[in-house]
Parts: sequence; C-alpha cells; structure tokens
Amino acid sequence: MSGGPAVRVSIESSCEKQVQEVALDGTETYVPPLSMSQNLAKLAQRIDFSQGSDSEEDGAEGEPRDREWGKQEPEEEEGTVKFQPSLWPWDSVRNNLRSALTEMCVLYDVLSVVKEKKYMALDPVSQDPTAGKTPQVFQLISKKKSLATAAQLLLKGAEKLTKSVAENQENRRQRDFNSELLRLRSQWKLRKVGDKILGDLSYRSAGSLFPHHGTFEVIKNTDIDLDKKIPEDYCPLDVQIPSDLEGSAYIKVSIQKQAPDIGDLGTVNLFRRPPKTKAGTQPWHVKLEAAQNVLLCKEIFAQLSREAVQIKSQIPHIVVKNQIISQPFPGLQLSISLCHSTGEKKNHRTSPEKPKPDDHLYVLEHNLHQMMREFHKQQLSSVVMPHPASAPFGHKRLRLAGPLAYDKAEISSLQQSEGLLEKIIKQAKHIFLRSRTARTIDSLASRIEDPQIQAHWSNINDVYESSVKVLITSQGYEQICK
Amino acid sequence: MEAPPVTVMPVTGGTINMMEYLLQGSVLDQALESLLHRLRGLCDNMEPETFTDHELVYLLKGQQGNPFILRARRSLSHPKAPWHLRYLGQPEVGDKSRHALVRNCVDVAASHSLPDFLNEMGFRMDHEFVANGHIFRKGAMKIVVSKLSRILVPGNTENTERLSLSYLVELSVLAPAGQDTVSEDMRSFAEQLKPLVHLEKIDPSKQRH
Repeated sequence: MSGGPAVRVSIESSCEKQVQEVALDGTETYVPPLSMSQNLAKLAQRIDFSQGSDSEEDGAEGEPRDREWGKQEPEEEEGTVKFQPSLWPWDSVRNNLRSALTEMCVLYDVLSVVKEKKYMALDPVSQDPTAGKTPQVFQLISKKKSLATAAQLLLKGAEKLTKSVAENQENRRQRDFNSELLRLRSQWKLRKVGDKILGDLSYRSAGSLFPHHGTFEVIKNTDIDLDKKIPEDYCPLDVQIPSDLEGSAYIKVSIQKQAPDIGDLGTVNLFRRPPKTKAGTQPWHVKLEAAQNVLLCKEIFAQLSREAVQIKSQIPHIVVKNQIISQPFPGLQLSISLCHSTGEKKNHRTSPEKPKPDDHLYVLEHNLHQMMREFHKQQLSSVVMPHPASAPFGHKRLRLAGPLAYDKAEISSLQQSEGLLEKIIKQAKHIFLRSRTARTIDSLASRIEDPQIQAHWSNINDVYESSVKVLITSQGYEQICK
Repeated sequence: MEAPPVTVMPVTGGTINMMEYLLQGSVLDQALESLLHRLRGLCDNMEPETFTDHELVYLLKGQQGNPFILRARRSLSHPKAPWHLRYLGQPEVGDKSRHALVRNCVDVAASHSLPDFLNEMGFRMDHEFVANGHIFRKGAMKIVVSKLSRILVPGNTENTERLSLSYLVELSVLAPAGQDTVSEDMRSFAEQLKPLVHLEKIDPSKQRH
C-alpha cells in the first residue's frame, strides 16, 4: 500500500430487488424479498433425499433396494409418484422422510423376525473351497516375481560398481604424473628450482661429509603413444641420476693366504646379479636406491683410502685403483675393493672368472656399512651443538679442553683414535684368528683320543672378541686336575 | 730429559684465521611456527635444539676513536658449559657480488672467571642481553632463530623485557679464509627460505647512528 493520502472508498451493493412492474409515473414496484421462512422453504425444496453422503454407491444400492421393497410398499411408491410440485414446499421433505421411516420400520421388522429363527433364518454365504488354495500359490508366484525384480535391481547396481572400480584401476595403472610425483616425494627429498624438479639422494642430511652433491633430476616421460596400448611397466616419471652413480656397486672384502702378483692388483672388477626388483616397486625407486648405494660405497672407499695413505703403520697399505691391500698378519692379505659395474653387463657376463662364494666376507662388508652410518650419526648428535649458540660446532667435551687446560694426552683420548680402516683390519684379524683357533682345537680333538677335548663356542660375540669354553675330560675320572 | 721441540714458526691457519660468513633476517612472532617447520624440514635431521644465552659486550676504549669490542656469552640452559669469547673484525670490503657478510672471527672457550678477567684487563661492560630461541644446522651452516630481551637490572637474568615483537634469524658459516663457494651455498639455502624470511647481508657499520 502506498503512503499517499487516504482515499475514502464507499461501497454500495447493486440493486438486488427485482422489478416487478414499472408504473406509468415511473415508480418501480419491487418484488418483495423472500422472508426467512420462505427462504428456508425454498432451500428445503432443493434437498435430494435419494442422494446420501456416499453418493454413487449408495445411490446404486438404493435403487435395487427400492425395487425389492416395492411390492411391500405400493403405497409409498404411489406416494412418491404422486408428487405434486404445487403443494407447499415442505411436501417433498415430508414425503422423503416418510419413506425413510417406512424403510426403517420394515428393516426392524425383518430383523426381529430373523431373531426368532422360526420363520426366517440367516445362512452364511458358502465360501468357494477352491478359492483357499489359489491365494497361496498366487502368493508364492508373486513373491518370486518381486524377488526377481529386486535381484535384478541389485545386480544392475553391482554391475555399475564393478565397472567404476575397474575404471579406477585402469586409471591408476595409467599413472598420472602428479600422483607419481607425490609418491616420489613421500620417499625422497625433492625441491623445485626454476622449472626443474631436483632431488637429493646423498646422505648429507643424515650426517655425511662426503662432498658429492648427489642431485638427481625428475623428468616427465613423454615418449608414450596414447594410441597404442600402454605397456605394463609404464611410468610417467623418470629420474636422471648423476653419471658417476650409475649402475650398482658393492665393497668386496676378502682374506687371501697367498699374495697375488703385483700385476694383478687393481683388476678386481667383479659384479653380481642386479638385485631382483620386488613387484610393486617403481623403477625410479630401484634406480635411486642403487645410486644411493653406489654413493655410500664410494664414500666408504674414499674414507678407507684416505686413512690408508695417512695412517702410518708398520706394513704400509697399498692403494691401487679400486683396491686397498693390507697385511694384518704376515702371509695373510686383506683386500678391500670397490666393485662398480656401470650397467653394460651383457658383455661382462661372458667372463669365465667366477668368484668363490666364500671368498667375499659379507660380514665385513656389512660392518663397513654399519660403521659408516654410525659415523654419520655421530655428526648429527646433539653433543655437537654449541651451547652458547655463538660457539662453533664441535664436540662438547673438546670445548672444555681450553678452559680446563687439558694436556695432549687428554685431548688425544677425547678424539677419535681409530679410523675406519684400522677397525676393519682388527675385525678381519679377529675373524681369521677365530677360524684358525677353531680349526686347531678341532684337529687336536680329533687327533687326541685320551683325554677328550670339547669346545663350546659362545653364540654371542663381539666384533673384536669371541669366547670359547674348552672342556678337557678323561673318561671315568671326575676331574682331570685339581 | 729434553724439552719437547717448540715450533718457531708462527701459527697460521687452523682455527686462528677463520672467517665468519653471515646473513641476517627477521620474522614476526606470528610467522615463527611456519619458519621453524620449514627449517626442520630443510636442515639436518636432528631433534630441535633450543637455547637460552646471556651475552655481555665488553668495550676497551683506547686513545683512538674506535673501541675494541669483545663479546662474552654463556649458556643459561647449560650452566656448566664454558663461556664463549668472540672477536669479530671489520667486514671485509671485497667485491660487491659476494652474497654474505664476511668478517674475521676469533672464537675462544673460556672458564667461568671470564667477566672478572676482562674487568681486570681493563674492559668495561657496555651492554648485555638475553637471547633465547632455536638453533639448526645443515652441514657446516648454522641457523639461529633467536629472540632478544633486554636485562632491566644489571646482572639479573630473570627479569627481562622483550626488545621487539620479532625473531632474529641468522645464517652463519665458519670457514677458513678464501673459500668463496661457502657464500654460494648460503645464498642457495637462503633462496629456499623465501618468502618466509629474507636473509640478506646487513652491514653493521652502516647501522650505527
């Protein structure tokens, strides 16, 4: 409603009175309106008693009922037939009511007669016996049908699901570049430089001081033809590792009795089979792991050769190309060599030289790796962190050397006394001595029958020490000596 | 018994002629968490190390203009650790392309009688402050994120008041003179910390007013 000034609106009903006649002088004579009672009578005339509140059905039933009782009530029929519209308006109402009353009376009479059961009896309508069976069969059939439709719906849904799952797997097999990159990033350190993605596979963040950068590059594999079928081992990601870390490497540690010719030194270049790739590992993972292993082997060998040159020992160690030779005992030779195969293995497979399986001491190789990793870990220990913060990095106890006036002996005791090479030589000596001792004891035991010699070797050994318990007993005697 | 041989050559190299390469920046308090998170990922994999240090700056006023400055620092979180005395020389004015601030640096560990010793020598304490924060390391690089607080009552390190609402970030390397590859490594590391913090070369002499 707009906010204008209020407008008065007057309502007038139209002329409702009908004009009966118009006099000659212009006055109109209206038909007088119906009074209340006249209006009521007029409305009452319009009531149709034959039509109940349930309209059609009752109407249809009402008709045969009328015909049934027609004979018994000829008077009422006549009464309804004789309906004269000129009678007073309530006449139809009166007639209808009268007929309704008559019918009610008749019904009452019939019911009272039936109640006596003498002249009239009520019989139930007989059920058709065959109608009982068919519902069951019908039920069964209908249930079957409905179950079948339900099953069909479920099957359709299951089909759709399996189709979508198969599609998903197909997509996953196709291996989107980004999801593969995410997988790569979850296992290796990556960073973005400009528009290239570089990664770091060195042990520097784990405490290594080896100056190799160890960066690899991640490239997208775009030489795929989408029209052809995608091969099984297709990977949208490829890594490019530094050229000097290609292939695989291992450190071969062996102890030999005889000294080989000088000319043979430095020719150790044996390889073993490339490790079997586990199903499910990506090709880039295998490549990166191999490169990391090569890097670690190089670091170990570099450390060993540096120590071999620097450390003064009675019998100097020989470092030739990729081999370090030292003599722990006279007549015994320990050779440590870095065997790096760059991957052109097809040619070398034809070489007839096969290494003896027990020539290579796997234990010492493992120990070398372990010692290197321990060295890395020491670099990262919190003992190195400076307190106060402005002090340089260095071992905590060494920082006390100045204020507490340590002398040379104390300082040297704090520092690392043994390098990697010395440790490994000690371990090799230990292994050799242990096997020799065991052989000696066994030969003595087999040779000497009385007294009996038994040797119990302890399972738990140190890398530098082993323990053995030798029991010498004589049959029949409790103790051999007091 | 003979006395052990004494070297007559002057001692050069080793820890005497070390240079400190420095890059500095700062972050607001709100950005500290994300910076620490990023540093934790970029730096060597160690347990995060926090520190609380008390630093005293001593001046020796000579006849000439420039006083001689020595910095004595002790750890409040490790009271038994020795004091650390540091001399920082003037920044080297080399080529402008060098990315980090380079200055001569002498570090000495000292016992707990250092303040008395310096007082006896004639140094006077100019100012002191308390620094606490986190320290990270990546290879030879040290990253220190610290909050500086002013000491209200001289000698009382409990009662401190924060100097600002931000943290000071310093990237430093101690290396012998002449190695310029160090500043390249520092710059590439600083690149990785952008845009959280901009580490740059700030000349202390230009700061003085």
